[in-house]
Amino acid sequence: MIHLPLAHLLSEPVGVSHYVMVGAVLFTCGVLCMATKRNALGVLMGIELVLNGANLNFIAFGSHVLRNDVNSLGLDGQLMAMFVIVLAAAEAAVLLAIALNFYNNHNSIDVDRADELLG
Amino acid sequence: MDIATASKLSTLLMWAWLLPLASFVVILFLGKSMGRHSKFGGYVATGVILCSAALSFYALFGVWLPNNPLADASHSSEEVHAEHSEVTSVHPVAFLADHGEGESKGHEGAADHGEGGHGEDGHHANNKPPQSYYGDWYTLGQFGSLKLTIGYYIDALTVMMFCMVTLIATCVHFYALGYMHDELHDFTDSEVTLSDGTNLKRPGRYYRFFQYLSLFCFSMLGVVIAGNVAMVFVFWELVGICSYFLIGFYIERHSASTAANKAFIVNRVGDFGMLIGMMALWSSLGTFAFGDLTDTEGHVVEQGIFSQLRSAENDYHLQATDSVVAEQNRVIRPSADGATIEDPEHNTAGQWLLFIAGVGIFCGCIGKSAQFPLHVWLPDAMEGPTPVSALVHSATMVAAGVYLTGRFYPAFTPEALLVIAYIGCATLLIAATIAITATDIKRVLAYSTISQLGYMMLALGLGGWVAGMFHLITHAFFKGLLFMCSGSVIHGVHTNDMTEMGGLRKKMPITAYTMLVGCLAIIGAGIPIIGPGFSGYYSKDAIIEQAWSYGNSNPHLAILKWAPIVGAFITAFYMFRLWYMTFAGKPRNQHRYDHAHESPRVMTVPLIVLSIFAIGIGWKLPITNLNTTALLEQARPVGTLATTQGVLLPELVIPNEHDSHAPAIKWAAGWAAFSTAASGVLLASIIYLWNLLDPKELKQTFRPLHSWLWNKWWFDELYGLIFVAPTMMISKTASWFDRRVIDSILHGSVTVCKGCSKVVYAVFDKTLVDGMANGIAGVTWDLGLWLRKIQTGNLRQYIMFIVIGTVVLFIAISFVQQTI
Amino acid sequence: MESIYWPTFFFWLFSLISCSFAVGVLLASNIVRMAFYLVLSLASIAGLFFLAGADFVGAMQIMIYVGGTLVLLIFGVMLTSQERFIEMKTPSGEWVIAFFIGASLLGLLFQVAQGVPAWQGMDRLEAEAIAVEKTATPIGMGLLGVRVDKLDETDKSRQAGMSGYLLIFEIVSVHLLVVLIGAAYLARAKRKQNRENLASVT
Repeated sequence: MIHLPLAHLLSEPVGVSHYVMVGAVLFTCGVLCMATKRNALGVLMGIELVLNGANLNFIAFGSHVLRNDVNSLGLDGQLMAMFVIVLAAAEAAVLLAIALNFYNNHNSIDVDRADELLG
Repeated sequence: MDIATASKLSTLLMWAWLLPLASFVVILFLGKSMGRHSKFGGYVATGVILCSAALSFYALFGVWLPNNPLADASHSSEEVHAEHSEVTSVHPVAFLADHGEGESKGHEGAADHGEGGHGEDGHHANNKPPQSYYGDWYTLGQFGSLKLTIGYYIDALTVMMFCMVTLIATCVHFYALGYMHDELHDFTDSEVTLSDGTNLKRPGRYYRFFQYLSLFCFSMLGVVIAGNVAMVFVFWELVGICSYFLIGFYIERHSASTAANKAFIVNRVGDFGMLIGMMALWSSLGTFAFGDLTDTEGHVVEQGIFSQLRSAENDYHLQATDSVVAEQNRVIRPSADGATIEDPEHNTAGQWLLFIAGVGIFCGCIGKSAQFPLHVWLPDAMEGPTPVSALVHSATMVAAGVYLTGRFYPAFTPEALLVIAYIGCATLLIAATIAITATDIKRVLAYSTISQLGYMMLALGLGGWVAGMFHLITHAFFKGLLFMCSGSVIHGVHTNDMTEMGGLRKKMPITAYTMLVGCLAIIGAGIPIIGPGFSGYYSKDAIIEQAWSYGNSNPHLAILKWAPIVGAFITAFYMFRLWYMTFAGKPRNQHRYDHAHESPRVMTVPLIVLSIFAIGIGWKLPITNLNTTALLEQARPVGTLATTQGVLLPELVIPNEHDSHAPAIKWAAGWAAFSTAASGVLLASIIYLWNLLDPKELKQTFRPLHSWLWNKWWFDELYGLIFVAPTMMISKTASWFDRRVIDSILHGSVTVCKGCSKVVYAVFDKTLVDGMANGIAGVTWDLGLWLRKIQTGNLRQYIMFIVIGTVVLFIAISFVQQTI
Repeated sequence: MESIYWPTFFFWLFSLISCSFAVGVLLASNIVRMAFYLVLSLASIAGLFFLAGADFVGAMQIMIYVGGTLVLLIFGVMLTSQERFIEMKTPSGEWVIAFFIGASLLGLLFQVAQGVPAWQGMDRLEAEAIAVEKTATPIGMGLLGVRVDKLDETDKSRQAGMSGYLLIFEIVSVHLLVVLIGAAYLARAKRKQNRENLASVT
């Protein structure tokens, strides 16, 4: 018979790998956002997505609900995630300042125009 | 062997084979006298091929099937799989170790042995020789031990090929009756301009076209029915000459005549290798015959190639016989019970000879089937009229190479199969990438043909005999269909260029939707795993499953596993690009669009007939359990249903084809095939249907890549540089030598002295000293310039570089870990 | 068939929302829409945090990210929202390259995620037996330098991770202060210059 994995998809608990996969999707979306957006703020949003993907991994590694053994990161995972959130906020503020600065100087937020360092 | 059946079958197929020859002769002598404007030739050829088709189908359904009932096609039922894979998982390692040849399955290829069913007989035998009828019609001559005969070798594959060839040929004949009507009256060739500026005007050649088609059918059927390699070779060349005539049908066009020459010359290169292979075979085995010649009581009189190389005493394993390796070259060691046995470890001379014979024969197939180094002729062959492209250059003739590889399969060593697989893999990827950028509708199809032929060769090389042959059959139908649709489009809009088409769906609906069927068939559309799907779905999935199973047994050859999957993506992309560019969207050239019209019924009916086959040829008919795979399974070559290990390359393992039906492999391969094909279609839709991405911009971004593909990987230029230019140079040198040698004798030592000093100056001073100094500087300068280009200052590109770097690093690390 | 295990259901729900809106951020070309999709995506990630038992971090995610950072972002969008920057098209070729690179990266990460046996889900009975603990207090104590969650750790080799996060907490605080001042300086100083530029133009 054809074996459908969907049958017990909802009745079994998820594991760390599911979280890691969701994190991977967010991470990839974020990287591609950074790689394809020409708007500096779009790049900033890409960075936020990447950080959240990483955060999700930290939480998953530290969660005792997903993996209840001694090799779990435990509370350290959550603390890491918290620092990431806080630093992301700081980074957003600085990047925003840079973006505004750039906008004021070039009258544009197209990152393709930020190529003064090109030799 | 059943004498009555044999004589019945051979008579039927002989008539089916000889009738087109009769038609050729009739048109040859009467065609002109019946007048250039009569359709006489067309009707004769069409009627004859219709008779041939009827005879072939009678041979299949009236004679073959009643005498050789299909084994219950049980390898599609799951229970047998489970049992089957269990058996495999227990034994292989032990068995490989002790035989060095491999484990085997008790499988009944031929149903008349009476003990059908899988895994029933406990002894580890390879599959027995398939049911076949072999005999001679006429002996041309006997030279010592070599006998040249005209004979037949008929098994399920022969009968199926007869049906396939005659059926497609019938459709093409009908289609050509309509397509070639321009030739009925005086024809003005708008592509040929005479020196006085006017276009060439010549009498029509309607009858001659059908004359060639008849000759072609005769030779193609001759290749299929041939009972020995020599006869194959004769008809092989006949097929080649027909192809030459038909490509050069518009002989006044320069492009057509050069294309015909190119096809002929390139094929000669391959045939040279085939001759070497034939010599190697004959000198070692002393026969060209495929089958065993028996007398009236059924005793074997003369052994053929297959039964010599895979004898029943040897459990049908391929082994070099006494005649292949001379006595003094054998490495013999005493075995435990005192007798002497061969040492397979050291006895590689025979294997080498068989390898050379196999690769030699395969060289012929490379030429005819347009495989990788010799693929350059096929796209140019599109200069011929479209019915020719449909019949000769996609459905049948180019398939002859694959057919011969399949016919000759028992004689290929595992190493030769590896060569075949690599050639197929290269062909499939190269041709598919070129098809992405081509804009000539027939050229896209030509490259897709090459690519699909690569699929077949790959499947054969990976041990998937049934998969490869199945794809040969299905491909013949859908590719014939696609070509005839393209012909219908060309007939309607009078151009080959897809950039001038678009939106034709509304003008020629039958062509559009039959072509859509062809596209869906070629990409293997179907519901994954459970089916049903178009015919290509079954055959392509079979190939990918075999590749998957092969990749699992040979991790170091992973490229052969991924190539067909990548190929599936590209195939889906370019086929739908073709369809969208031709039939969807807005017309790009309003003038041509306004004049477009649906083709007459004599052309569309064959399209509909073929599209029915393109959908259903892979299906299992209800009630009768008749299906193509089961029929092919009846013809499976002797001794090939086994896990085989290489002798020259001991780590090479060719998995048993039935293992590829294991659920785990079927599941993974099925989804891989489906998802890649679906994403290919999606990408094509994004670009060409919904116009979300602009193709012009894409071309701009990938300019180097595009020009590389547009110029077909520079193959023509490369061959010009490697082969044509040196030849010219040698002849120039020779002429220079002729003119100057007397002078140099007269001028004597002075010239020599001057020459010497000049050489020293030119060679040493100029090139070496100056060159080194300049070279280093130049390289540094260029490197610097090149590196500077990478530093674009573009943020987004830098991010791409980071990601690429990460991925590459990861892959590199995983490779390093594997090797450690 | 067994009954539905609700945490799993919610996991699929939230992950579907977050992933699809992340893809939305990627594919949208309008900057305002992108910001909106990002809000939804990040909010449902907070849901995933709750499901993994990280209640405090989930709350932080909503407050700092959704409430703070994104407001900042939207300010940025509004400040720079001229007509021509709302929609900026990326060249088609880059989309194709990005597609292939992204697909290979995603494939790689998925392969890794599937490759560790210990990361697969546990048994349902086992999962239902786990008690849910509140994490706010242990995190707060951890930031103050006391790891109340690891008091009973006996293995010496594991005590290395037990030290508190007080120093790091302090560093982050100072860091935030520096960022605050720096950002304000950066954004403010140039605007004055810009006004001068504008004045000279007019």
